[in-house]
Amino acid sequence: MNSIVATLVSGILLGSLYALMASGLSVVWTTLGVFNFAHGALMMIGAYAAWTVSEGMGLGLLPGILAGVATAALCGIVIEYLLIRPFYGTRHMLLVTVMTTLAALIILEKGAQLIWGAKLKQLPRLVTGDVSIFGATISWHEAIIILLAPIVLLLLWRFTAMTNRGRSLRAVGQNQDAAALIGIDVPYAFAIAFGLAAALAGLTGALLGSIRFITPVMGSEPLVKAMIVVIFGGLGSLGATAGAAYVIGLLEAFLILWIGLYWTPFALFLLMIAVLIFRPNGLFGRA
Amino acid sequence: MTALLSVEGISAGYGAITVLRDLTLHVGRNESIGLFGPNGHGKTTLLRTISGLLRASAGRIHFDGADISRQRPATIVNAGLVHSPQANTMFGDMAIAETLELAAFAPRARAGAKQRMEQVLTLFPRLAERRKQLARTLSGGERQMLSIGCALMCDPRLLMLDEPTLGLSPRLKEELAEAVGAIARSGVPLIVVEQDVEFLLALTQRLYMIEHGAVSREIDRNDGLDHGQVMQLYFGQGGEA
Ligand SMILES: Nc1ncnc2c1ncn2[C@@H]1O[C@H](COP(=O)(O)OP(=O)(O)O)[C@@H](O)[C@H]1O
Ligand SMILES: [Mg+2]
Repeated sequence: MNSIVATLVSGILLGSLYALMASGLSVVWTTLGVFNFAHGALMMIGAYAAWTVSEGMGLGLLPGILAGVATAALCGIVIEYLLIRPFYGTRHMLLVTVMTTLAALIILEKGAQLIWGAKLKQLPRLVTGDVSIFGATISWHEAIIILLAPIVLLLLWRFTAMTNRGRSLRAVGQNQDAAALIGIDVPYAFAIAFGLAAALAGLTGALLGSIRFITPVMGSEPLVKAMIVVIFGGLGSLGATAGAAYVIGLLEAFLILWIGLYWTPFALFLLMIAVLIFRPNGLFGRA
Repeated sequence: MTALLSVEGISAGYGAITVLRDLTLHVGRNESIGLFGPNGHGKTTLLRTISGLLRASAGRIHFDGADISRQRPATIVNAGLVHSPQANTMFGDMAIAETLELAAFAPRARAGAKQRMEQVLTLFPRLAERRKQLARTLSGGERQMLSIGCALMCDPRLLMLDEPTLGLSPRLKEELAEAVGAIARSGVPLIVVEQDVEFLLALTQRLYMIEHGAVSREIDRNDGLDHGQVMQLYFGQGGEA
C-alpha cells in the first residue's frame, strides 16, 4: 500500500517536470512548426544561471530562479533569431531546424562546460524538511514543484486561449499570411513563443537543480522524456500535452516499481513506437 | 490634395519571377476602385505588395502621404490599410468569435472592437449563427465572410478585397455582393478585385484593367461604357493566360 502511494507521488512529480518541459515544446511547435532539440539544454542553462546567482553570488534561491528563467528566455530568443529565423519559409525547413537546434544543443552544452566546469553543482531547496502525503514522504521542495506545475500550466493555457497576444501565437502557427494581414507582427510572435518556451525550460531547470545534480548534460534525459510525452499526446494542444506528461510520469514510476530502473526506458520506448504505429497523431491527437 | 493611396512604378514578383512591371495607379480620397483582368496577370500580387507581404523591388507606395513600401504588414494594417486575401481560410483551428476578437489586434483597432464585432455579425448573420464553429469546418462562402469580417475588425480606412465572390454559388455570390455594397455605403473606401465587371461598375468610381503586371486600361464610370464595350475590352485584348 505504502509503496503504491509513494510510486503515485513520485509519478506525479515526474509528470509535473515533464509537463513543464513538454508544454514549452508544444508552444514552439504550434507557433513556428519547429521541434526544438535545444529545449533540454535551455533547461540546463536555467539551472546553472540559478546556481550562479543563488550560490556563486550568494543572492539567494528566489533571485536565482528568476535569473534562471530570464537567462534561459534570453538564450531562447537568441537561438530563434540566429538559428531558426533565417531558415523560415525555406524548403526542408523542418529538417534544417532539426540540425540547427541540435547545433544549439551542442553549443550550449559545451559552453556550460567551459563556463561552469565539470564539477557537479546543486541548488539549495526552496523550503527544507519533508512532508508526508498518505504515508509517502517527499521533500517540501518536491511538493512545491507538484503544486506549482498545474498553476504554471493553467496560466500558460489562459494566456494562449484567452488573451489576444496568446492567440496571436496560435494564429501565426496556423496561417502566417492571414496573421500578418490582421496586424500581427510574425517575427515578434516567433520571438515571444521561443522566449516563453525557454523561460518554462529555465524554470524547470532551476527547480530541478535542487533535487538533482546540475551538469552540462542534465537536460538530455528530460528532453527525451518530453519527446515521448509529445509523441504520446501530440504537439498541437496544451491540454493533451500536459495530460500525456502526467500519464508518462505515472507510467514511468510504476514501471520502475514493477520491472526496475534498468528496463523502464526500454519499455517506454517500446510504448512510444507502438503509439507511432497505431496512433500517428498521438494518443490524444486527432486521428 | 494627395491621393489616399498611390502606387508609383512598382515592380514585384516571387524570387526570379517578375510579375508586376512598373505598375502605377492611385485611389483618391472618398472613392473606390475596381481591378479586373485575366487570371494570373498580377492582381493578387499587387494587393500582396501593397499590404507588405511582398516587397516591391522598384517603385514607391504611399498611403495617406506616408511611404509604406518598406513597412511590415503589421505596421501597414495599423495605419488602416487592410487586405482581405483571396480564397483564404483564416485560422483552421480557431472558432469564428475568437478569430474576430483576435482580428482587432492592431492598436488602432482596439477601441470600439465590441461595436465592430456587432456590426460584422449583423452584416453576416451566418457568422453570428456559428460563433463557436471552427474555421476549417466552414463552407467557402462562410470562409469568405469570416475573412472580410476580420478585415472589418481591423477598422480599415481603405479596404482591399481580393475576389470576394470567387467560386461561390449564384445565391451566395448575391449575398456577398450585397454585403460588400453595404460596406461601401457605410463609407469605407474599397479596392475590389473581381471578374464581374458589372458588379465593379456598380460599386466603384473607376476601374483599372491589369494585364501582364501593369495597368493596360483605366475606365471611369462616367465614360459611359456599356456592357458590350466592357466585354469587348475584356476579351478583345485580354487574352486568357
Ligand atoms: N507564390 C508564388 N510563387 C511564384 N509565382 C507565383 C506565386 N503566386 C503567384 N505567382 C505567379 O504570379 C503571376 C500572377 O499571379 P496573381 O497575382 O495571383 O494573378 P491574379 O490575381 O491576377 O490572378 C502568375 O503567373 C502566378 O503563377
Ligand atoms: Mg488573384
